[in-house]
Amino acid sequence: MTGWHAPESLIARYADGSLPDSDAWSLEKHLESCAACAGRVSGAVRATAAGTVLAQVRGAVLDAAPPVRAKTPVRAKTPVRTKTPAPPVRAKTPVRAKAPLRTPRLLWAAAPAVRGAWLPAVLLVALGAVLLAHVADFSGARPLLLAVAPVVPVAGVALSYGRHADPLHELAASTPSAGLRLVLTRTVLVLAVSLPLLTLAGVVLPASDAPGAAAWLLPGLTLTLAALALGGWLGLRAATAVTGGGWLCAVLAPALAAPDGAVSRQLSDQLSTYVGGAATQGGWAVAAAACAALLAARRTTYDRLERH
Amino acid sequence: MTTIQVAGLHVRHRKTVALDSLDVDFGRGVHGLLGPNGAGKTSLIRVLATVAAPTGGRVRMLGEDLADPRARTEVRRRLGYLPQEFGYYPGFTVREFVAYMAWLKEMPAAATPAAVERAVERVGLADRIDARIRTLSGGMVRRVGIAQAIVNDPAVLLLDEPTAGLDPEQRVEFRELLRELGAGATVLVSTHLVEDVAAACTEVTLIADGRLAYRGTPDALSALGAAADGVGDHPIERGYTAALRAHREVAVR
Repeated sequence: MTGWHAPESLIARYADGSLPDSDAWSLEKHLESCAACAGRVSGAVRATAAGTVLAQVRGAVLDAAPPVRAKTPVRAKTPVRTKTPAPPVRAKTPVRAKAPLRTPRLLWAAAPAVRGAWLPAVLLVALGAVLLAHVADFSGARPLLLAVAPVVPVAGVALSYGRHADPLHELAASTPSAGLRLVLTRTVLVLAVSLPLLTLAGVVLPASDAPGAAAWLLPGLTLTLAALALGGWLGLRAATAVTGGGWLCAVLAPALAAPDGAVSRQLSDQLSTYVGGAATQGGWAVAAAACAALLAARRTTYDRLERH
Repeated sequence: MTTIQVAGLHVRHRKTVALDSLDVDFGRGVHGLLGPNGAGKTSLIRVLATVAAPTGGRVRMLGEDLADPRARTEVRRRLGYLPQEFGYYPGFTVREFVAYMAWLKEMPAAATPAAVERAVERVGLADRIDARIRTLSGGMVRRVGIAQAIVNDPAVLLLDEPTAGLDPEQRVEFRELLRELGAGATVLVSTHLVEDVAAACTEVTLIADGRLAYRGTPDALSALGAAADGVGDHPIERGYTAALRAHREVAVR
């Protein structure tokens, strides 16, 4: 291979990982015997994102081994050493470059509620209830979960849209998706996460005299829709505070007022009144439909522009 | 051809007046929006970007009235906007972020991947397209912002201080891109850098104290600076100070 040197375009493609493997191997073979090309390749690789990482790694290694640093042979070897780590970079870049652009994954990743503190909070509620029941042997876990669960999707909606919740809001507000379309897309995500997760957690809790694990689904949906419908007037943050807070007060206040020791009994009774039985559930279903109708009728309120 | 008509535009933030019955039209080409800090440039751009509502006055854009929500949605499909400070998701790659913006702009899904790559390439970030935004420098993040603004080939492009944080070489490239974009679209660029105006703009709009202070070509502004003995190191800068002084004298009278 004497006389031949790698052209600039080949080196560039090697550095960014777009060179086919067979070509890369033959280039690497050439680099073993050609210091000039090795220097150019290491320069090109250092100019990529991998270069920063390599520099950091190199710095860390040198810092960790102070006695070796004084010896000159190590420094003399530097061009060879920068060449050696190149293959892992090549292996990594093509994988990322080929990652297909899947809209559902993107929508999931972009939902502020899922990105922020809400998702861990949902997991905490679900796991917390299960741990309370099975590890701490707390008999009131199920009523407590049922009392808190309907507020979870409502909180998720609050954290999904608006200047306070979404760093992208200024940009999103200038797009045709601004307003109800984006609010609903993100609400669907919030519901898709919280409904199955919390219901599943309820199922694995020991049975008690509280209503069944699925009893909270309709109330949760109704409260979410109510928050969305109210959001047109009050703004999402205030609307979710009203509906979520209202539910918590209605459920927890009487229970907390109960005499010592009877708190979870009282909570179970309260929940049975609110969500137990077919008639009550029917009531919630009617309320959900009414809220949905109200939201549909008031959908243009989400088109309002921000006032200065 | 006029694409943006602003009539009697009034914007108030609490008690301060940001825009005071502003009348101005914009057509195809690159318009430099100049003015002191607090002159109302950002207020104007946010109203045009359909993000903020004016306190009074009308805006017609691309033949639609922005006060009408349905028409506004139509306009938004053909709009590109880069705010002065824009939020992003640091964990997203450049490709993901621009693609997500394309989705928000309701671009056809089939056309999105190619449009994303093209937009990122136009701002010179093709080699970093799969890098996470949090790993990019400030100037690169700014360019990601420009890429998301142009991904839908907008008919109206609003850029609030797009060159802040770009190094001189990147600014030269960006001006080239501006000229390219201005051939087919109405581009509004708010800036403090007179070189940007001189090199890339077909027209200059100077706003001061919420009112229109000057309108003309960069050459005319330079000529005004020479004639009226304005202060500054650059012909445009002298024109800027001269026009501003003239505007304030009229305002005082």
